[in-house]
Amino acid sequence: MMNPKDQLNKVIDNIEKVIIGKRDIAELSMVAMLSHGHVLLEDVPGVGKTMLVRALAKSVGADFKRIQFTPDLLPSDVVGVSIYNPKDMEFNFRPGPIMGNIILADEINRTSPKTQSSLLEAMEEASVTIDGVTMQIPKPFFVMATQNPIEYEGTYPLPEAQLDRFLLKIKMGYPTSKEEMEVLNRSQLSVPIEELQSVITLEELLELQREAKNVKVDETIRSYIVDLARQTRNDSYVYLGVSPRGSIALMKSAQAYALLCGRDFVTPDDVQYLAKYVFGHRIMLRSEARYDGISAEEITERILTKTKVPVQRLVGQ
Amino acid sequence: MNSVRKNKAFMAVLYILVFLLLAEWLTPVITLTDTGHKPLFLIFIAISLLMAFLQVHWSIAAGVKIVYIMWFLIYVYTEATIFSFKALGFILSDLQINVEALFAQDWAQTTDIFRTVLFFSLLWMAVYLIHYWVSFRLSIFLFYILTVIFIAVLDTFSPYNGDTAIIRIMVVGLMLAGLLHLARWLEGHRINETIERLAGFIIPLFLMVAVSTALALYLPKAGPVWPDPVPYITSLSGEGGPGPGSAAVGRIGYGVDDSELGGSFLGDDTPAFRVEVEEGQYWKVETKDVYTTKGWELSEPVSDPVLYGNGDLIETEFEPGSEDESLNAVLEMEQDFPFVLYPYGIESIQMEGEIRYSYSSVDQKIEPLLSGAPYEPEAVELQFNEPTYSLTGLRETTVEKLAELPPEFDRYKQLPDELPQRVRDLAEEITMNSETVYDKARAVEDYFERNDFEYSLTNIPVPEEDQDYVDQFLFETKRGYCDNFSTSMVVLLRSLDIPARWVKGFNEGVLVDSDNESETEIYEVTNNNAHSWVEAYMPGVGWMLFEPTIGFTGSSEIDFDLDIESSDPEEQELPERPQQPELEEEEDAAAAASKGSNGPGLWERISDFASDHKGAVFIGAAAAVFLAILLFLKRQRWLPKVLVPYYRRRNGKQTFEKAYLRLLKQLDLYGIKREEGQTLMSYARYIDSFFGTKEMTRLTASYEQSVYGGRPETVEWRELKESWENLINRTSS
Repeated sequence: MMNPKDQLNKVIDNIEKVIIGKRDIAELSMVAMLSHGHVLLEDVPGVGKTMLVRALAKSVGADFKRIQFTPDLLPSDVVGVSIYNPKDMEFNFRPGPIMGNIILADEINRTSPKTQSSLLEAMEEASVTIDGVTMQIPKPFFVMATQNPIEYEGTYPLPEAQLDRFLLKIKMGYPTSKEEMEVLNRSQLSVPIEELQSVITLEELLELQREAKNVKVDETIRSYIVDLARQTRNDSYVYLGVSPRGSIALMKSAQAYALLCGRDFVTPDDVQYLAKYVFGHRIMLRSEARYDGISAEEITERILTKTKVPVQRLVGQ
Repeated sequence: MNSVRKNKAFMAVLYILVFLLLAEWLTPVITLTDTGHKPLFLIFIAISLLMAFLQVHWSIAAGVKIVYIMWFLIYVYTEATIFSFKALGFILSDLQINVEALFAQDWAQTTDIFRTVLFFSLLWMAVYLIHYWVSFRLSIFLFYILTVIFIAVLDTFSPYNGDTAIIRIMVVGLMLAGLLHLARWLEGHRINETIERLAGFIIPLFLMVAVSTALALYLPKAGPVWPDPVPYITSLSGEGGPGPGSAAVGRIGYGVDDSELGGSFLGDDTPAFRVEVEEGQYWKVETKDVYTTKGWELSEPVSDPVLYGNGDLIETEFEPGSEDESLNAVLEMEQDFPFVLYPYGIESIQMEGEIRYSYSSVDQKIEPLLSGAPYEPEAVELQFNEPTYSLTGLRETTVEKLAELPPEFDRYKQLPDELPQRVRDLAEEITMNSETVYDKARAVEDYFERNDFEYSLTNIPVPEEDQDYVDQFLFETKRGYCDNFSTSMVVLLRSLDIPARWVKGFNEGVLVDSDNESETEIYEVTNNNAHSWVEAYMPGVGWMLFEPTIGFTGSSEIDFDLDIESSDPEEQELPERPQQPELEEEEDAAAAASKGSNGPGLWERISDFASDHKGAVFIGAAAAVFLAILLFLKRQRWLPKVLVPYYRRRNGKQTFEKAYLRLLKQLDLYGIKREEGQTLMSYARYIDSFFGTKEMTRLTASYEQSVYGGRPETVEWRELKESWENLINRTSS
């Protein structure tokens, strides 16, 4: 059997065949998937979000579903509905698009809060309950939700509590000019997404998830994570800091990232790298921050530079 | 554990050398503190080392040592046999005394036994420490250097003569250092050697040490580049005092010319004579009577000397005491003196041959004559009986009687006209409350001790042209040695019209041996014991010895024949001289420089030295502090040179982590700072880009694995050493 790093890199390389210059995004997506988390992609349309998710799904041989959120979308359109079948004289459950392995929830902030919360609940529980019947969503279950930047017209911003359910918030960003040229190039030659082959099986993916859980997080690293989270709660620009769930998210994602880097232990570098993706959507800023043009990412950055990195083992270890 | 350490023969040689080195520590300590039973202490060290060598379990070793200490205490301090009830009771009662003294913080009350135990504990610790150095660290250099410094300091500042000791230490130390280096080398290269192959290294080493020592001993040597530090610094600092011979440093000993007193003295432990006697005595040579404001001279004789033969009863001005039996003293002269050293209360003298003894009443000197020519005796046997003085008589020495003294005493009342009035005033002031002549004399004798006078051999000025020797000492310097004290007392007494004279001779010397059978003690008297004291005339009683010099205890024996009630404490105390108990055995001036507890101790001398040369000490301290700061600031430059060999030899689990953290500090000193929030890996990448290396990243990955990964055992320091050394060496450039 291949080692986890190689397996994961194979997946990422595979994704890179169709997505140019977004290796870090692919990596982060893998990190989220490995740590049973979900990703919130915040970006303008047309930068390849859908392509990324599809490529990911193909690479791991997973079932891919897409939900396009619109203002008139109902919760039952997401989770499914029971329909009376006159022939059998009973209600038959028609599963919604959520019942898949990898879900792309497109423009999640365009739909009503009610529908949003039906999705988020499913994400949290990894199951749906319809008419008193609970149904497990097949594993692995990975949601990649996209949202337009919240300043756009006609959006329902996600409430804080629901943002917290996403492990990472990633911004894709525009490709560089060189990358964009490459994109144009490729679109001519076209490596159709349909031709993409899976490089690992779902079982292997599940095994990798288990391995990520076993990555060692040293006492010093745990206390570093706690330090960072606590710092966000004390910042003068911050209205609501990172919750303990945020700390857990940082630790889990760091574990997955360490696995991706071929290590079986977490280093402060992992924590630092992931902090801005984990903390970005969990820090609620005061209005002063907005006046001063300070973003949550900048605050995270600032906390990272001033928090002492543990470099020595704890006394007595 | 490595084969070299398991090689018993090799280790035995090491331990024997260690024993020799430790013995060099013990010898001066024992000599200087006048401790007896040196062989027993050496046996203790030997036992301790032997058990360390045989790797006896610590509990057994401790038990054996404790039993030995107990046995020593009981053997030395009591006559009981060990494990007897008497011995047990003795130990318990002593324990009680000392515990009480300790809780009362009354250090002076602790007994010798307790101090002995402390000394043993010290030896125990020393042996343990050295055992650790030799068996575990395989390094003795520090201890070796300390030994050399210790002996050198003692040789310079104390009477201990380390001339031969230092050679022995060099030889033993070089061999030990050589063997240990060999052991470390073998261990470092993981070589297992047989004893035969080892001999191939060891024999040349021994030969080399032997040849170089022999060469060093027999080749001519240049004189010291630096003079002896104490007098040299004294003279450099220019504080020797103005006047003739201001910077002159005399050497202690018996001199004839006393017309210009003053100046500093150096100790000189050349033996003068040895004496076997029941109890230590002051050995008188002569007296002088004319005070010249600068020193002492002798007046013209008024009568011819009296001649005595062997065994004749010699009449001096000191009546032999009334003890039943007179005492015997045998002097073996080690220097040629044309006079007889005699104790107070001398009765007769015997020497081999037809010797006659000329006793001059002017200076009370006894000169042996062989067929009319001066003779320098080699051995002298004396009978004497210490004079005793009746306290009743002493209480009747009224001032009025002084006026009735015959004119012979006038020469003992002589004083130069130039004597400053304040000296006379002081004499009056001191004796204001004393009624009898004896009380006055005692008051003057005690004055020095009670008025912050200081005993010192160094930095004593010679009076200037218009200065009076006594006046200078009493009012200006207030520090000096026996000549200062005794001359001053004579002058003070004379200014009160009490006849007094200045006496020269030797004090009792150092007790070197005692003979239990004949109840005699053997004293060694050296030039350091040359001394001067005072004789004063008590009207109606006679001449009496007084000892004004601080720390010396020559005193006349007082017969407590007063009809007084024993409850009268004031009267009882009268004849006692105030003296500190611990100074009891102190001797003369020179004694300061003499053996051990006699005279001011080493510490006092050092603190004297320090207080005399505050400037020099301050500059020295400032320079040392400056040097320390400089070294600290420049540590980035030299530290790697220390660290590299230090960590190179290390192999422990934590070594790599320690070494890595060291490297971080060193890089920080070098100027590449790591921000608090910077991770090691990003710092390492920066370091590598800075130096154009890959080693820091490599080390950091290992370090992360060790610390964050919690697997220090997977890190091989041996493999990382080179990278580490490479980096740390870069930081010193």
